[in-house]
Amino acid sequence: MLVLTLVSVSLMVVDARMDVLKPVRAQIGMLLTPLYRITELPVQAWEGVSQQVASRSTLVAENEKLKAEALLLQRRLQKLAALTEQNVRLRELLNSAALVDEQVLISELIGLDPNPFVHRLIIDKGSRDGVFVGQPVLDARGLMGQVVEVMPYTARVLLLTDSTHSIPVQVNRNGLRAIAAGTGSPELLELRHVADTADIKPGDLLVSSGLGQRFPAGYPVAIVKEVLHDQGQAFAVVRATPTASLNRSRYLLLVFSDSRTPEERANAAAEAQEEVDREAAGRAEQAVTPEAEQP
Amino acid sequence: MSDSSIKAGVLIGSSLLVGLLLSILPMPSPLDMARPMWLGMILAYWCLNIPHRIGMGIAWVLGFGLASDVLTGALLGQNVLVLGLQVFMVLSLQQRMRMFPVLQQSLVLLVVFGLAQLVQLWLDTLSGNRAPTLLFLIPVPVSALLWPWLSMLLHILRKRLRVH
Repeated sequence: MLVLTLVSVSLMVVDARMDVLKPVRAQIGMLLTPLYRITELPVQAWEGVSQQVASRSTLVAENEKLKAEALLLQRRLQKLAALTEQNVRLRELLNSAALVDEQVLISELIGLDPNPFVHRLIIDKGSRDGVFVGQPVLDARGLMGQVVEVMPYTARVLLLTDSTHSIPVQVNRNGLRAIAAGTGSPELLELRHVADTADIKPGDLLVSSGLGQRFPAGYPVAIVKEVLHDQGQAFAVVRATPTASLNRSRYLLLVFSDSRTPEERANAAAEAQEEVDREAAGRAEQAVTPEAEQP
Repeated sequence: MSDSSIKAGVLIGSSLLVGLLLSILPMPSPLDMARPMWLGMILAYWCLNIPHRIGMGIAWVLGFGLASDVLTGALLGQNVLVLGLQVFMVLSLQQRMRMFPVLQQSLVLLVVFGLAQLVQLWLDTLSGNRAPTLLFLIPVPVSALLWPWLSMLLHILRKRLRVH
């Protein structure tokens, strides 16, 4: 007992204070990855069965819904191309950093943390895929959290709603900055230190501000649910619901945002723009020449 | 002799492996609060019934404790300490406990599991993951209630495989 206590206490201290044990953890983690797969089997089997026995009408309905959604998205995409173009030009005029598309990697959720008070997930991409600690994680609707531990084939993600997590945000409507802290409840974030007179109201969209240098700017984080003004408190109590479906998403996106300085990014964007212009010019010439040759 | 000790080792190891799997099995949201302390229960069973096979249990506790530390993202050694504490308490009460009827064993184990969960809370607090409510104690009564059934199940397995 004494030996065991000594060993475990010293292990804990070393693990908490130093990085020496990181590779050991990673190796054990790699050995244990199949266990997650095994525990996922019942869930996958259930999904398979429900897909097999889904009735035709449900499938038709789902198909129609997806088609409608695709149409809507396509319409938006058409506009988006023009808007992106416009945005790049305007930013050039302003001499400011360009918003470049970040690279993403799709990963699948393979496990949840068994401790219900800790909001962490295991995903099926690890250091072999280039995942790194601190990497932002999104789903289709918004930010979900960040990577906190990397093993060779898996990684652990800390969600926004964990009580140890905070993220710098901005109100999309007016740019008001705040810190959104997790509460430990899966549907709730709390804005810290918002002045009682601040212009913020229920329904406001909060987007990441990018100020912490960790999350890319401009991704939706949460929607303000309620603002409570209590005369006795120094700050307003602001509660918000995360836009990402934190406890339902199965596929997550890992973002590789670039760590270049704004100048480098601006230069790269300008070069890319020139190239596009040149190509466009080339295409225009090509379009002209065949006509010229025809007669 | 060595043949039967190998058999015992395999049985103990595979039951603990199943326990480890059960302890990370995804569960629907309100139920996961009440996840029984599978590893602790299974180790307690072996310590009570064939203590000479499990010895001090150091190897088992180290191996499976470390595995569950890595699986749950706790500090390395946290679950080792907690499981070691449970094994120590059960082993020191073993002479008396094996004479108890199974429900009385449940009562004693309620205290053992409760202490283990408190130590777990302290360690979580040290690493900054303190549980916000007293709900973290729910696994304790759940494990104690499940004890008679688990004990019966492992008993049948042990008799069928003739592990003494």
